[in-house]
Amino acid sequence: MQRIQHDGTDHPHELDESSPFAPQTPQEVDAMLSAISADSVEELFDVPEAVAFHGDFDIEAKSEYEVVTEIEELLGQNADRTEFLGRGHYDHYVPSVVDYLSLRSEFLTSYTQYQPETSQGFLQALFEFQSMIVELTGLDVANCSMYDAATALGEAALLAARVRETSGSRVLVPETIRSERHSVLENYADGAELTVETYPLAEGNTDVGALSELIDEDVVMVYAESPTARGAIEERLSAVATLADDHEAAFCLGSDPVALALLKEPAAVGADIVIGDASVLGLSASHGMGLGLFAVKDGYLRQVPGRLVGTSETAEGRRAYTLTLQTREQHIRKERATSNICTNQAWVALRTAIHIATLGASGLAALAEDCVATASEAAARLDAVEGVTAPVDDRHHFREFVARTERPASEVASELADRGFLVHEVGEFEVQICVTETNSDDVDGLVAAVQEVLE
Amino acid sequence: MTHETPDDLLYTDSHEWIDDREDTLRIGITDFAQDELGDVVFVELPSEGDSLESGAACAVVESIKAVSDIYTPVSGTVTATNEAILDQPELLNTDPYGDGWLFEIDGQVPDDALDADDYCEQIE
Amino acid sequence: MNYQQATWTRETDTGEPVNEPLLSEKRTQTVTYDDVDLPDELVRDELTLPEPAEPEVARHYTRLSQMNYSVEHGPYPLGSCTMKYNPKFIEDVAALEDGAIHPDRPDEYAQGTLGILHGLQEYLAEIGGMETATLQPPAGAAGEFTGLLVARAYHQSNDEDDQRREVIVPASAHGTNFASAAMAGYDVVELPSDEDGRVPVDALEEAVGDSTAALMLTNPNTLGLFERDIADIADIVHDAGGLLYYDGANLNALLGRARPGDMGFDIMHYNVHKTFASPHGGGGPGAGPIGVVDELTEFLPDPHVRETEDGSFELYEPAESIGKVHGFYGNWLVLLKTYAYISRLGDGGLKDTSAMAVLNANYLASQIDLDITYGPFHHEFVASAGDVDAAEFAKGMLDEGVHPPTTKWPEIVDEALMTEPTEALSKEQLDVLAAAFTATNRKTSDELADAPTTTAAARIDQTSAARNPRLSWQDVGENDE
Ligand SMILES: Cc1ncc(COP(=O)(O)O)c(C=O)c1O
Repeated sequence: MQRIQHDGTDHPHELDESSPFAPQTPQEVDAMLSAISADSVEELFDVPEAVAFHGDFDIEAKSEYEVVTEIEELLGQNADRTEFLGRGHYDHYVPSVVDYLSLRSEFLTSYTQYQPETSQGFLQALFEFQSMIVELTGLDVANCSMYDAATALGEAALLAARVRETSGSRVLVPETIRSERHSVLENYADGAELTVETYPLAEGNTDVGALSELIDEDVVMVYAESPTARGAIEERLSAVATLADDHEAAFCLGSDPVALALLKEPAAVGADIVIGDASVLGLSASHGMGLGLFAVKDGYLRQVPGRLVGTSETAEGRRAYTLTLQTREQHIRKERATSNICTNQAWVALRTAIHIATLGASGLAALAEDCVATASEAAARLDAVEGVTAPVDDRHHFREFVARTERPASEVASELADRGFLVHEVGEFEVQICVTETNSDDVDGLVAAVQEVLE
Repeated sequence: MTHETPDDLLYTDSHEWIDDREDTLRIGITDFAQDELGDVVFVELPSEGDSLESGAACAVVESIKAVSDIYTPVSGTVTATNEAILDQPELLNTDPYGDGWLFEIDGQVPDDALDADDYCEQIE
Repeated sequence: MNYQQATWTRETDTGEPVNEPLLSEKRTQTVTYDDVDLPDELVRDELTLPEPAEPEVARHYTRLSQMNYSVEHGPYPLGSCTMKYNPKFIEDVAALEDGAIHPDRPDEYAQGTLGILHGLQEYLAEIGGMETATLQPPAGAAGEFTGLLVARAYHQSNDEDDQRREVIVPASAHGTNFASAAMAGYDVVELPSDEDGRVPVDALEEAVGDSTAALMLTNPNTLGLFERDIADIADIVHDAGGLLYYDGANLNALLGRARPGDMGFDIMHYNVHKTFASPHGGGGPGAGPIGVVDELTEFLPDPHVRETEDGSFELYEPAESIGKVHGFYGNWLVLLKTYAYISRLGDGGLKDTSAMAVLNANYLASQIDLDITYGPFHHEFVASAGDVDAAEFAKGMLDEGVHPPTTKWPEIVDEALMTEPTEALSKEQLDVLAAAFTATNRKTSDELADAPTTTAAARIDQTSAARNPRLSWQDVGENDE
């Protein structure tokens, strides 16, 4: 094995055949080989010739500078547009302190806390995250992460089926659910022989009458969202909860930590499970990467998927934190585990917790109140534009709302994009617009552009 | 490590004991089993009135690192369960043949039940 | 090694000794909502959360960080987890503003992101010997689940789904394999290991049949051994009409030297947080892309990225797609880091990675005085702590200033210490790690029982944590029984 000696520098264009992240010098390699009485590293591979690979990937090694430049250039091809996009992925401003603290390598480069004694810091941070979610949801137990809202919803359905005394096979979801979330749920549900059906909404909120027609004893879970994917605050949660309860179905609510900081706690409206994307705090727009929030009432504790951090004591009687109730998990219960999840989104949970701590109760409540105010202001301004009705649904909105346009939405969206603004096209004559503190200064520009497009 | 194996009980291959109390059979896990499991932290019991087939998994005993299914060695109807261990699962460790019993069932002692000597041989 | 982890022990207001108080034990605030423009019944009555000033936030989390061992402190040889060094520049790449876009952008405004995703699809396909790879699964386990959904869709397309209800998993496999198979609706058939620690070909032949949907295999397996009979195994499974699934957790051992596709695997996942150095983040996020052979590409999750004739990139739905396994496109930031890492290393660096990972494991094994029954191993080995409980041994190692190996798995080795140094330890660090094994091996059982003494927390009572779960600060100080 030839290893080329590093000269300690890393100039662009000076490449070599060794990994810059493998620190062995040629002398060390020799010493190690002789310690194990081997002549070459190749000899250590017990790979039959028939399946060995001697080819090349044709991936050219690059210097750090070259990689960074290449990626900067590539990402630069993402057109410069102002996004008024939401529908489950939101761009809130993330304070610098979140980056600086979460990127500390002690956090970033550790793994699951299998040895709690040497991992107290991360465990405490995750415990605090769980506690924040407990406060926000009013429920008893929160785990310390699922992958994202969609997979958390899938896990919720599986949990709901497991906790039911009698078997059932239906899961009811609102017709406004994002199709992507619906599809993930179907994939999770399928293995447990559950089918997913939608129930209608009327005027932007659950059509409780229609739901009561659809629900029966075969339903294991009813899912509702507040805010809905169209941005409406759901006003009929208690009625949904009652219907679910009457049929021994679990009631699962989808939301997010900013909305939860203002809206009635899920526990108070009868939710048994809360799922959602918690990375609305902690991560800025990141192409859909998320943090699955998962909280349940006490009775479901033993069926919770994923990691749970609890407190205990050390031998000297000091408070300590540890992963607990691990017999639920795949590494112990294998095919009977409550989930297959292992690697999760712990670091995002850390970021979310730091973000929440930095905002504090006051900052978080103020942010949530702004989400109501900015959405209704922006809707009112667009409504004043000729050819636009906003919001379409006569409801209260959070962050986002749907507007009806006289011209086809596809044309409106694409002409707005030409003018520098991205909005969702959600119906033939409907666009959806999301406003947070990161684009609220651009609402003037958007309104002007909408005016031009609809003139 | 020696384990207690009272002579007046019957045993199964899967480390349950059976106490024939004439009108009912009381079931629990052996001293050996609790020792293998370690500190028991959680127990799930069948419900009174459940009718069970011999060999069916009907209870779960969990320690921190392991989960063990308990199989009823007897077919019949569950007549009583030991609610105390739900709150004090440690009773399975401290008193496996006494306060740490699991449930009672009405049924026949199975033919293949082991006596204390046979069971001891098996766990040696 | 003289080692001491930081702590700032003090008592809370209630007199409970703690290392660092909870945020809730510092300044909190309760807010009420008086002038929100919403009906009262929609609004919470109040919200109580910590309200530390930013300097306090910084101190709190800095202290917590210092009570957390990490890859950058020293050896972290958790077997199967591949705790290698995470280069810094990949974090800067992930922080680039231009990458921070919304997932619902139309393709034409996301060409940069799609180009990188496409590039990574190609890199991974090449590295695994697969036709293409989907990047959507957000972790290895999610990749397994996705792969099995693909297998199921394939069998459905052949009208064989009703009959192929079993997934075969070796006993030594990772717990996620079993759990993923169950989640995908399959019955799990467990295959015991052969005496030499590998898949027993005879037993496999017996186990496969008309009901076999797939065999899941890790190679090198969890003992670090290459499944030498892989070509026969592939034939057996394929002849029975099943598919072969590769658990990519151990791909670090084979980078550039053998490819799952060439071994006959049909579906594989890549644990990019292991093999390709994206940081583990205290438990995640990772990413678990899956590669598939040509016949299976039409079943991949929706959407997939392809290059159009004019050289731009677009998303499309494969003809018989299984649908989605993540709400959007997976863990984008992790995928971006993976792309950067692979680009940096190139062919030479990737091959060197496996070489040094395997050399390091072999050298380390030669320096420690514990039984290692199974070999020849590659990037990891499983030593036995012998008469000592492996979990106790691990606690003893903590006091030597290193992270211990994975313990008690795979179960085929008594008191297993599954050790994976990775390529990223120098000889000097390997010697430190070997010395930690040796020092621990000399400890008496009493010393081990008292360990660790140098970490922020001494031995933690796991039993009371599980018997009396207190899972939030709302429970602290309550229901103490
Ligand atoms: C062998 C093996 N398979 C699968 C997994 C699961 O991968 P992940 O944790 O990324 O879900 C792991 C690691 O955790 C593993 O070690």
